[in-house]
Amino acid sequence: MMLVEIVNPYYLQVGSFILINIILGLSIYVTLSSGQLSLGNAGFMGIGAYTSALLTLNFDVPIIVGVIAGAVVAGLFGILVGIPSLRLQGVYLAIATLGFGEVIRVFFVNWESVTKGAVGISGIPHIGREIFMVLKDAGFDPAIIGLKNNQFVFLTVFFVLLLINILLVWFIFRQQNSRIGRAFAAIKMDEKAAESMGINITYYKVLAFVQGALISGFAGALFAHVMSYISPADFSYHRAVEILIFAVFGGSEVIVGAIFGATFLTLMPEMLRFISEYRYMIYGLILLLMMAFRPQGLIDVQVLHWFQKLRLPKRRAEHGSKNQKHL
Amino acid sequence: MVLKIKSISKNFGGISALTDVSFSIEEGEIFGLIGPNGAGKTTMFNMITNLFPPSSGEITFAGEIITGIKPHLITEKGICRTFQNIRLFPQMSALENVMVGGHSRSKSGVFSSVIRTKAQRNEEARLRGSAIELLELVGLSDGIGTEAENLSYGQQRRLEIARALASKPKLLLLDEPAAGMNETETDDLFDLIKKVQARGITVLIIEHDMPLVMKLCDRILVLNFGKKLAEGTPKDIQNNKAVIEAYLGSEEDEQSA
Ligand SMILES: Nc1ncnc2c1ncn2[C@@H]1O[C@H](COP(=O)(O)OP(=O)(O)OP(=O)(O)O)[C@@H](O)[C@H]1O
Ligand SMILES: [Mg+2]
Repeated sequence: MMLVEIVNPYYLQVGSFILINIILGLSIYVTLSSGQLSLGNAGFMGIGAYTSALLTLNFDVPIIVGVIAGAVVAGLFGILVGIPSLRLQGVYLAIATLGFGEVIRVFFVNWESVTKGAVGISGIPHIGREIFMVLKDAGFDPAIIGLKNNQFVFLTVFFVLLLINILLVWFIFRQQNSRIGRAFAAIKMDEKAAESMGINITYYKVLAFVQGALISGFAGALFAHVMSYISPADFSYHRAVEILIFAVFGGSEVIVGAIFGATFLTLMPEMLRFISEYRYMIYGLILLLMMAFRPQGLIDVQVLHWFQKLRLPKRRAEHGSKNQKHL
Repeated sequence: MVLKIKSISKNFGGISALTDVSFSIEEGEIFGLIGPNGAGKTTMFNMITNLFPPSSGEITFAGEIITGIKPHLITEKGICRTFQNIRLFPQMSALENVMVGGHSRSKSGVFSSVIRTKAQRNEEARLRGSAIELLELVGLSDGIGTEAENLSYGQQRRLEIARALASKPKLLLLDEPAAGMNETETDDLFDLIKKVQARGITVLIIEHDMPLVMKLCDRILVLNFGKKLAEGTPKDIQNNKAVIEAYLGSEEDEQSA
C-alpha cells in the first residue's frame, strides 16, 4: 500500500517536537496575556516531566495519570511561586522566575537518589509504544492499515499531540473571549484601572500564572513520554530562553503568534542543518532585532486583520472581525 | 446618607495632601468637590476607592465602614470612578471597555467560560446588551467597535463614564469629566450627569469648570491645601469670601493675566 511510503518517522518526530513547543509557547502566552512575563516555564516543564516520569517508572501508573499528575504538581508549584511574585513587575518578575527555574534544575541535579542527577532518567514509558501495546493486545496489527510498527508508533504520538494542541488552543481561545480573558487583558493594559473596575487582580494574576505553570508542566510530562529520556539539561536556562523566543518572535499578543513562533523556530534548524550549531546565537540575534524593530512579534492584531481581509473580502463588515481579532 | 467621610488625613512623605477632612453626601444628590490645583481632590477619590489607604480617618458607605477594603470590593459594594488622567484600556474596543466595567456584576468562571454554558452565554449577552445601552446613554453608539485609544478626548471621557456605570454603582465619582471638552460637549455632559442622577445614582464630582459646577451641583465642598475651606450650596460657595480669595478669585486673576 501507499501509506508505508508516505509516513516518514523523521517528519513525524519533527512534527511532534513542534507540537510540544507550541504547548510551551502557549504556556508563556497565557501568563503574558495578563501582563506577567514568566521565564520560569522551563522549571515548571521540568517539574511536570520528572513527576510523570518518576510516577510511571516507579509506581507503574498509566501515562495519562502521570501526565495529569505532572501538570497538577507544576500547577501547585505555580501557586507557590505565583503568590509571592505578585509584588514583582516586568523585568523583576522575569528575573525571579528565571531564578526559580534554575533552582529547580539544580535540585534535579542534586537529588540523585531519585532523579539520577545529571545523568538523567531513561527508559520512560513512551506514549506511542504504550498505545501500540494496548492495541496489539486487543488484536490490532498496523499492517492492516498498511503501516510498519514504528511508523504506527510515531503516527500515534503525532496525532495524540495534535489533538491535545487543538484542545488547548480551543481552551485558550474560548477563555480569552470571555469575562476571564477580558479581566486578563484589562490587568495587562492598566492594573490600577482594572482594580478600580472591580477586578480582583490578585486572583486573576495568580490564575494566569498558574495556568502557565500547569500548561508547561503538561508539556514537560508529554516531552518525557515522547523522548523516553530526560535530564536536568533539558530544563535549563536555554530552554527558558527558547520558550520566550517562541512568543517574542511569533508575536505575544495573539494566540497564533506563539504557534507560529514555535513552529518556525523548531523547523528552521531542522531544515537548515548548518544553522543548528548557531541556534543560540540566532536566538540572541532574533531577540535583539525584535526588541528593536518589532517588540510585539511578527504577528500582531494588524497582521491578522490584513489576513482576514484577504480571506473574507465580502463579509468583513459585520462583527466577524471583532470576535476573531485576538486569535 | 450614602457616603460619610470622617476626619480623613493623608500624608505623602512630608506632604500632607489631606488634613482632617470630613463631609457627607446624601442619597441622590450631585455633590461637587472643588479647589485649586494640588488641593487634594483626587487624593480624596483615591481614599474613597482605597487605591491608597488614608493615614487616618474613616469612610462609611451605605452604613458600612469601607476603609481598608480592597478596591475591587469597594466597586462591588457600589462605588465606581473615572480618572482625571484618562485610564481606559487603550487597545480594547469601547464595547469591551464597558463590558469590563460589568465585571463585578457577573460571575462566570474559567470552566463555564470555556464550555460556554447556557448561564454563561446569557450573562455575556446581558453584559453586552447593557454595555450597548450605556454607550448609547453617553452618546457613543457610533464608536462601539473602535479601540479606546482611537477615540477623541471627549469621547474617551464619556467612555470612562459608561465603563464606571457598567458596575451599577450607587455612588459615581467623576474626576474632572469636563477637562478638555468644548462648550457643546460640556453641555452634553451636563445632560448626561443629570440623566445619571435621574437613574438614582449619587454623584460626587471634581471639576474646575465653575459654571458647570454651579449649575450642576446640589452642594459643594471646597478644599484648599488639603483642608476643608467651605461647604454649602452653590450660592453659599459663590458668596463665600474665603473661597473667592483662595479659588474663585484666583481664577479670574489667571484669566486676566
Ligand atoms: N501618589 C502620590 N505620591 C506623592 N504625592 C502625591 C501623590 N498623589 C498626590 N500627591 C500630592 O498630594 C497633593 C494633592 O494632590 P491631588 O492630586 O489630590 O490634587 P488635586 O486637588 O486633584 O489637584 P488637581 O486639580 O491638579 O487635579 C499634591 O501636592 C500632590 O503632589
Ligand atoms: Mg486631581
